[in-house]
Amino acid sequence: MKKPGIWLWSAALATYGLLYLPLAVVVLFSFNDSELNAAWQGFTLAWYRHLFGDRAMLQAAANSLFIAVVASSVATVLGTMAGLAMHRWRPRLLPFLVLTPVAMPEILLGVSLLLFFRQVLDLTLGLISILVAHITFSIGFVAIIVRARLAGMDDSLFEAARDLGATPWRTFTRITLPLTLPAIVAGFLMSFTLSIDDFVITFFVAGVGVTTLPLQIYSMIKVAVTPEVNAISTLLMALTLSLIVLAARVAPETLRGSR
Amino acid sequence: MKALLAILCLACATLARAADVLYLYNWNNYISEATAERFERWCGCRLKQDYYSDNEEMLAKLEAGATGYDLLVPTGNAVQTLIRKKELRPLDRQALPHLSNIDPGYLNAWYDPGNQYSVPYATTVTLLGYNADRLRELGLPTDSWALIFEPAYLAKLKGRVTVLNSPRELFGAALRYLGHSVQDTDPAHWHAARDLILRAKPYWATFSNSTYIKDLAIGNIWVAHGYSNDMFRAREDAKAAGRPFAIGFTIPKEGAVLAVDNLVIHRGSRRPDLAHRFIEFMLDGDNAADISNLIGAGNPNAAAIPHIRPALAGEAAIFPPPAERTRLEMLRDLEPRQRRLLSRLWTEIKVR
Amino acid sequence: MRAPSFATRAPERLTRWLVTLPPAAFLIVFFLLPALIMAAASWREPGEFGGLAPLADNGWTLEAYRFVFADTIYAWILLKSFTVAGLTTLLCLLFAYPLALLIARSPRRQRDRLVLLVILPFASNLLVRVYAWIMILGPANLLYSPLAVLVGMVYVHLPFMILPLYTNLEKHDPALLEAAQDLGAGSWTRFRRITWPLSLPGVLSGAALVFIPVLGMFAIPELLGGTGDLLIGNLIKEQFLDNRDWPLGATLSLLLTGAVLIVAGLSAALARRLGSSR
Repeated sequence: MKKPGIWLWSAALATYGLLYLPLAVVVLFSFNDSELNAAWQGFTLAWYRHLFGDRAMLQAAANSLFIAVVASSVATVLGTMAGLAMHRWRPRLLPFLVLTPVAMPEILLGVSLLLFFRQVLDLTLGLISILVAHITFSIGFVAIIVRARLAGMDDSLFEAARDLGATPWRTFTRITLPLTLPAIVAGFLMSFTLSIDDFVITFFVAGVGVTTLPLQIYSMIKVAVTPEVNAISTLLMALTLSLIVLAARVAPETLRGSR
Repeated sequence: MKALLAILCLACATLARAADVLYLYNWNNYISEATAERFERWCGCRLKQDYYSDNEEMLAKLEAGATGYDLLVPTGNAVQTLIRKKELRPLDRQALPHLSNIDPGYLNAWYDPGNQYSVPYATTVTLLGYNADRLRELGLPTDSWALIFEPAYLAKLKGRVTVLNSPRELFGAALRYLGHSVQDTDPAHWHAARDLILRAKPYWATFSNSTYIKDLAIGNIWVAHGYSNDMFRAREDAKAAGRPFAIGFTIPKEGAVLAVDNLVIHRGSRRPDLAHRFIEFMLDGDNAADISNLIGAGNPNAAAIPHIRPALAGEAAIFPPPAERTRLEMLRDLEPRQRRLLSRLWTEIKVR
Repeated sequence: MRAPSFATRAPERLTRWLVTLPPAAFLIVFFLLPALIMAAASWREPGEFGGLAPLADNGWTLEAYRFVFADTIYAWILLKSFTVAGLTTLLCLLFAYPLALLIARSPRRQRDRLVLLVILPFASNLLVRVYAWIMILGPANLLYSPLAVLVGMVYVHLPFMILPLYTNLEKHDPALLEAAQDLGAGSWTRFRRITWPLSLPGVLSGAALVFIPVLGMFAIPELLGGTGDLLIGNLIKEQFLDNRDWPLGATLSLLLTGAVLIVAGLSAALARRLGSSR
């Protein structure tokens, strides 16, 4: 491969800088000793301490974690099944069902689920509506990763197993599952990240009693912006960052994302 | 891991204590911390608050199926909507012996005859707040909506005026200025109001429901269309900060919107007993007086009047004398078609 | 690819149903059905106090559509949304291309690390990324303006352009470029005649991945834009959460869906043409 020249390096570095600078600002100012957060006034950990005393915030964090765990688990199971199915049998309807929620604007998903829950199910918006919504958009991501992994594998393994008389279940547990496990784990981690971070869809289906971290951050931004917003943002970033690094380590397919 | 455990424990703890918690969904800045704390001590329970800055916001949330609130504080027209939607729980008169403290003039309102569901809590007038010193320098009138609608005046105030980010309120002001009632639903009149607003918009700084309080008090904004209690707060803030100017507020001579906000109990309330205790608490003259003394809102509670600071009680914009009251109107809820037309006109106003 | 005899064996068919059905059923119920409900809601009357009016009393109506098309304002806002989406896509392409090129041309081991570095900012929440620009643009007095909206849009969607582009670029055969260089082509000519045309499918992918989400965005205009910087997403949100006019909201959502389908269709058609001309 032709080695990248200096021009390319500088343009690329500039873009990297553009990507990271704003986030660095957020992290830096979470330590700012100033309520207005307009100018730097000294270093303090007070905002992080304040965060842990903020009941609403802790409740939101608890909700976010609970929802993420449950939604990702279900989405991983369903998404793995979908990925398997799409790889083996190339069904025609399933890819549409699975991939469209991933590609379309989130607001449409949020709005249609709001209508569905209220008009058809007459369900009070809350934990269940959020869980269902998160599972719906996560299935696609898991399926994509699992399918990418399967595409990179040698199909002759499956054929050999079948020729030797293995039932589909045994083929799955003895061959498919162990080989795709990294992708499944990565899929789980990605869904977890997506669920924790989701704002738009949750905004429409959350209702009153249940709040999540992104929703809390949203009301804080709209009402009163203090470095506490920076603090919670920094913590959230740290969490999702580590999850993605972990997912990438476990299964490099995560970074390829087939289209 | 430890943090996770801590969060889970806290979640459990919160759930366990849910029994003695009262959920109040209220306007921003409509009850002081002191009052809230005093209530918590008197009742031996916890008061959790959530805030809205517009009736529409509150109604939209309830439409989305919210059942977490015990008490709401809707304005008259919103009370009517909620009653018709059967969202409210009838009040238990036995639990409210001091209902008689309310000025009879505010009872039996058109939106809740017999006060089956609501108890008046506070009143505000939507009016103009202004930097008195600046306007005096510029020789501008302070008693007319012309201040925010006439380019002749606006030319001297460019970029220093804010208006409410509320279609009903802004159209209400425009309609009164054009000589119509705030309840007028004639599309022709609405179009005229829209044109009036669009003509003035280039001079306005922004549409704001709450930031104008700070901006007035600091001196960034010289004229603000807003609520009387917010203007009161701006005036106090400016005084406390030792600003070289004073904030004034008057009800424009063409007339204005009066809002009577009421305490109501939501049908899905989990602790109606606590809700009744809160209402009973606020019916007491002393506690109700806080609404005026600390918030600057008008008071429908007759027993509170003796406890209100004399300077405040004489404030015409907060306690309008009978002569003024004839020029004040309450908003009524619109029909769906009218709401839709208003929303399109509002979009045009925002975008054009 | 697969021997046909496998597909007809009974346990195989059973497996196929057992595996395909659960995700399909879930998505039909919670994705397809709500989408149809949304379409149906646009043909209903608005409820007296909000939401939808009871079907029994009011029946179906095209009132919401008549309303939307009676005035140019909604079409204008849709057009504005398209413009913002288009500008964002172009700017993303401009910023993403050099970076994707660098990653694609780096040695294999570095590549994964570089890609990870690109994705990490993406790991942060949408609101955090918007808030970062509120912090930066606020003091510079550039907040609440169309420029702020554009900056926010580009920043949030940049990774979506980088990844497909890089995936495509890494597959280019270096031999082609070497041959061109041997034949005397300068670097700009090499890019124009070889790299760029070969990268078009990736460009198209990335463009679709940026254009479509931007069309539906509301949080960025709401937090970074001025009062006039409304896009179609803001209007939709307003109908559902502020005005309680669900039929109008559903109608606008269908308009947006239509726009998205057109863009997706165009991009797929273009991709096919590009693929067939190889």
